[in-house]
Amino acid sequence: MTNFKIIQKRNIWLTISGILFAVFVAALFLWGFKYGIDFTGGSLLELTYEGQRPTVEQVESSLADLKLSSFIIQPVGEQDMLLKFQETMEETHQAILSRLANLAKQDNTTFLEQRFDSVGPSIGAELKVKSLWAIFFALIAMLIYITYAFRKVSRPVASWKYGLSAILAMFHDAVITMGVFAFLGHFYGVEINTPFVAALLTVIGYSIHDTIVVFDRIRENLPKSDLDFEGTVNVSLNQTIGRSLNTSMTVLLVLLSIIIFGGASIRTFALALAVGIFIGTYSSIFVAPPLLVIWEKWKK
Amino acid sequence: MSDNILQNLFNPSPRGKIKWIFVLIIILAITASLIDFGDYYNKAVDKFKIPFPKVKEIPFRLGLDLLGGTQLTYQADVSAIAAADKGSAVEGVRDVIERRVNTFGVSEPNVQINRTTSGDYRIIVELAGIKDIKQAITMIGETPLLEFKEQNTEIRKITDEETKQLNDYNKAAEKRATEVLGKVISGGDFSALAKTYSEDAATKDRGGDLGWITEQSNSAIYNLASKIAVGKTSADLEKVSGGYEIIKVEDKQAKTDAFTKAEETQVKASHLLICWTGISNCESGLTKEQALEKITRLKEQATTANFKDLVKQNSTEPNARDTGGDLGWFAKDMMVKAFADAVFAQKVGAISGPVETEFGYHLIYKQDEKKIEELKVSHIFIKIKTEEDIIGKQSEWKNTELTGKNLKSAAVEFDSNSGSPEVALTFDDEGAKLFETITERNINKPVAIYLDGYAISVPTVNEKITGGKAVISGKFNITEAKLLAQRLNAGALPVPINLVNQQTVGASLGQQSVADSLKAGLIGFIIIALFMIVIYRLPGLMAVLALAVYSLLVFALFKIGFSMAALVLVGAFLIIGITVNGWFLVFAFLSYIVLYFIGGLAPVTLTLAGLAGAIVSVGMAVDANILIFARLREEIINGKPLSSALDDAFKRAWPSIRDSNFNTLITCLILIMFTTSAVKGFAVTLGLGVIISMFTAIFITRNFLSLIPPTWLEKRHALITSVKAPKPSDNE
Repeated sequence: MTNFKIIQKRNIWLTISGILFAVFVAALFLWGFKYGIDFTGGSLLELTYEGQRPTVEQVESSLADLKLSSFIIQPVGEQDMLLKFQETMEETHQAILSRLANLAKQDNTTFLEQRFDSVGPSIGAELKVKSLWAIFFALIAMLIYITYAFRKVSRPVASWKYGLSAILAMFHDAVITMGVFAFLGHFYGVEINTPFVAALLTVIGYSIHDTIVVFDRIRENLPKSDLDFEGTVNVSLNQTIGRSLNTSMTVLLVLLSIIIFGGASIRTFALALAVGIFIGTYSSIFVAPPLLVIWEKWKK
Repeated sequence: MSDNILQNLFNPSPRGKIKWIFVLIIILAITASLIDFGDYYNKAVDKFKIPFPKVKEIPFRLGLDLLGGTQLTYQADVSAIAAADKGSAVEGVRDVIERRVNTFGVSEPNVQINRTTSGDYRIIVELAGIKDIKQAITMIGETPLLEFKEQNTEIRKITDEETKQLNDYNKAAEKRATEVLGKVISGGDFSALAKTYSEDAATKDRGGDLGWITEQSNSAIYNLASKIAVGKTSADLEKVSGGYEIIKVEDKQAKTDAFTKAEETQVKASHLLICWTGISNCESGLTKEQALEKITRLKEQATTANFKDLVKQNSTEPNARDTGGDLGWFAKDMMVKAFADAVFAQKVGAISGPVETEFGYHLIYKQDEKKIEELKVSHIFIKIKTEEDIIGKQSEWKNTELTGKNLKSAAVEFDSNSGSPEVALTFDDEGAKLFETITERNINKPVAIYLDGYAISVPTVNEKITGGKAVISGKFNITEAKLLAQRLNAGALPVPINLVNQQTVGASLGQQSVADSLKAGLIGFIIIALFMIVIYRLPGLMAVLALAVYSLLVFALFKIGFSMAALVLVGAFLIIGITVNGWFLVFAFLSYIVLYFIGGLAPVTLTLAGLAGAIVSVGMAVDANILIFARLREEIINGKPLSSALDDAFKRAWPSIRDSNFNTLITCLILIMFTTSAVKGFAVTLGLGVIISMFTAIFITRNFLSLIPPTWLEKRHALITSVKAPKPSDNE
């Protein structure tokens, strides 16, 4: 059995967490997200070139006078090109096609329009508001459930505080994950789309899940422990740390395989999950239990 | 022998019970695999001629992002609705369309409301797997628009002064247009002139460029432009509705299909139709066989010379007597598929054999075929004004708050006096109240019921009507009344909608993503398997086997279906089954089957987010096993003998598995209840995965482990852990 002094060094962990939290909150406020088409709505035009595909710069300069907003040009595969922009008017679509046709004529190539989607935001205001409410209710429900499940260990720390600590740790994880994406969005143009929302929800679920496993051990040890609360928490942590690391390892391995081998559209999702689950594992060991102990000390 | 089996069955020894459960698990796994891989199984049966019965092949239901399909965007015309009610009217449209598409058996549609920045309401309908846009449009287009209107007391007439203004403006417009035409004819730069003078805001900035047009896409301008040679401009000012056109034809080409690049053609044809009883509006009185017999006889007589007369005498198409079955020129996508396929394949001048469509049997006489001509056109448009532009649209009728949204049901009834058929409408509670207030304020005044924009019934109100019932007593025959009731029961629209955008989303991108993600999932599974076996040895192997059963079950459930009710019922019984009494697992199974038969399940639509939820739930399944095995090691270190260590490990790990999974389930439940589309899809697959994972990771793993005789395992400690003998002093 390992015997790390985790709780005893809680100030170190909480300081690290505090700094990380502050940095990524700053990133969130400073840069915000780079919202993808799912949030903003827009158009997606995919072309397949027959011969020589023009370069991104050529396409960009030939369409410069249209002043498209959030304009992204991506070469896809060998022959394809993906254009994304926020305008959805059919006229804009036709204007782009005629300009690109002129460009193609110069190069003696032709292209085929694979698809043109003009979409309103699929994550409309309605879904945004609904999801936020749903998360709010889920948190309340979790708090009630944890308070009930831990009712037998209401001493020395009230059982609702287990719930609140778990939720605080979860909040920490969610904010850091979002902050990482604000950073990635600003420097690498990584966009936030529907899969990111799903990933964030998973991180929320996983974070609580992981914390509860640790708290469960505390619940089991408390009645039979000779140690004080701090000591009992530390022993419980040491007993569960192997399981926490192994579980995270399996999940991270799957995610890694998705990041490496998976399709492009699911990669952002896997990356968000990997970041969130890494942080979630960290917080279930180094944030939530220390918070419990601090709470117990405060009472004195 | 049979005694023994019966004895085992009804009064099993502990080990006998484990064996029975093992057999049941294997049966469950085989059933699940037959559902998962039904197509492969059937192929194998065919190939090797094994005398096994075939199974029903159930396909996965894939979302638009994975499968491709059709996306239609409608604009809701809410101009007649009070500002406060616009939102709810559009929600009514969404519900009706959703219901409509559901009754036609389209795979789970995604219908979204979208409010654009300019304040327009749009409804986006995503139909996964439907490639035939026309079919989808017809399906939704048949949804009736039901409105209730009362007299408009504020009709405004145009004043003399305004009439003078109008005439002055239009004279000035004509003068302007003539000047611009002069500049064009004298060789001015068309594009520059369009930028300066054109009053078509959409094309003005592009030098009037309308792009490629066909007769179908823009008939008014095409008809004018087709008279002008390539590179030339209009010689005269062309007056069209709304203004004056000056046109320049830039280029001309044969239209090609956007996907296949084949040249598209149009066909001129006429047809003879024989319908049979059972097709709506068919009054031929023939059975399907008789109809075929008749049309085959007609085919023998038919020549190109007498075709028109045969049609006039025999065709069951209404108006055939006048039209001679002539369809004029049409493109391939304007006709139902079976008809279009036949006529485009046959030779010009030929008469086809009987062709079956949803309307009956057709004989088709193909008269001509030509390429579809596309013109690249620019125009300068000068607007004129009408009365409506000045005083706004004046209507004798104005909308009330009561709309098709409030319709609960419709039924055919017969008028008690005249015996003529009527359609009786029943409103919902809100509708009943609205109808009461509307009739109250319109006593002795007419109230109009509008269907698809036309007044079909304008009764005068005699007294306030309570109870939420109204009658449409138009001049129908029984068939028409039945049809109308049927259409209304499928849902009626509260406001008119216009199709503004339609597109087919290819699946090629999606397919690649699915293939890649499945490959990634498989690699992930192998990595987990290796990890579990290396770290946890024999129990790890059992967990991997349980995980395989898990995957089979989850994918089988995706195919058969799932619902909120299933989540709650099956989930509750499974948990009781695992904790209290194994018999409850039977209830879990039975409640699922009952839900299946009473239609309480909907197939899970797999989207990328949904697949992600499934993959994440694999992680949770593994976590349960890791919790148990970590506990098993501890118990062994604490000096317990193997069999009781195994028992304790499962018992002690349960509370943390239960609480952590419960929390995930609570989140899923709430997400399913409150959210839509991608987020909901994710929650459904994750919730389903978590429930099944509790069953496989705990119940099945345990059963597999219990199958191994403890005495045999006791001698082979290394299969479980390297910690061999319990030594209290051992701290590692």
